[in-house]
Amino acid sequence: MRAEVLKGHLDALLLATLQDGPRHGYAIKEALRAGSGGRFDLPGGTVYPALHRLERAGLIRGSWSVVNGRRRRSYQLTPSGQRALSQERSSWQDFSTAVTALLGGEPWPAAT
Amino acid sequence: MARGNVSRSQQRSVDRDPVEGYLAAVAARLAGPPAARAAITDELRDGLLETLKTHCTQGSSPQEATATAIEEFGDPATVAAAFAPELAAVQARRVALALLATGPLVGLTWIAAAAVNALPPWRHQLPGPWIALPLAGLALVIACPALGLTVAATGRLGRRLGGRLGRRVTFPPTCAAVAGLAAVLVDVTLLAIMCGHALTGSGSTTWAPVGLAACASLARVALAGRAARRCLTTRATLT
Repeated sequence: MRAEVLKGHLDALLLATLQDGPRHGYAIKEALRAGSGGRFDLPGGTVYPALHRLERAGLIRGSWSVVNGRRRRSYQLTPSGQRALSQERSSWQDFSTAVTALLGGEPWPAAT
Repeated sequence: MARGNVSRSQQRSVDRDPVEGYLAAVAARLAGPPAARAAITDELRDGLLETLKTHCTQGSSPQEATATAIEEFGDPATVAAAFAPELAAVQARRVALALLATGPLVGLTWIAAAAVNALPPWRHQLPGPWIALPLAGLALVIACPALGLTVAATGRLGRRLGGRLGRRVTFPPTCAAVAGLAAVLVDVTLLAIMCGHALTGSGSTTWAPVGLAACASLARVALAGRAARRCLTTRATLT
């Protein structure tokens, strides 16, 4: 699935991948892919810049470590990021409930 | 890896290793602070090598795994373009914070020079060349909000700014460049006034504090001018 389809939702999805603890960029990308049943297999070139944007916004915090002799940057949610994730989740549930009601094939209210 | 600063051993590594070649292609297209660019290539390297490892464990040959990993990451130009707004924001924020940190210091050196010599502004007078002083004030009036907006747009407040302003990627480098040019205008005005004051030779002058203030302004003209030019160059790459 192309990254454009996720426009507007990518930030929330990236935050959600960190709700259980820190992950590095590749692990975040893989969590998105596996968690979506392979539907959201984003190019690394999309995921990493978005992580940098979220870090600059104070929603995630990055830290360096050395693994197998190379530098690795891992990210974790900040308190602001946790609040933002809760808000995104809540607004998505409202939105999806409304869209499901409209597209779910249920009979529409009678026209007046 | 800094642009245009590749050693022979690094070049051999780039020629031999497709991953390093890909990273060099991305790095060559990144504009911004060298440390930020190096951090990006380090992070991408880790991601690429992890991707490669996954493909190898799934049965691909190292050559196939490398080619697939690079293909999955995307075209170097596209990847570099995706990082460009972030690097521009980092650069603009650094410029704004540096101007905010040095501005009061430069200002204090001029206030000290004015106080020690009881220069005309200290006596609430603007005779001769001092009549140009309001120009420095006007530049300050431009610089201060530009600095505030740059810091706000490139930090946590940026998300809250929302709307067109928050999404406009050229906004931070533009604001930082305006602030830098305004700082240059402040310094050039003060230096020109002081030159005029020295040439008219009105009264005795203790030159040590004036010299210190002039040196501080000259240094800031050079640094702020260069920073503003870099921000404008970065801005041009975003449009």
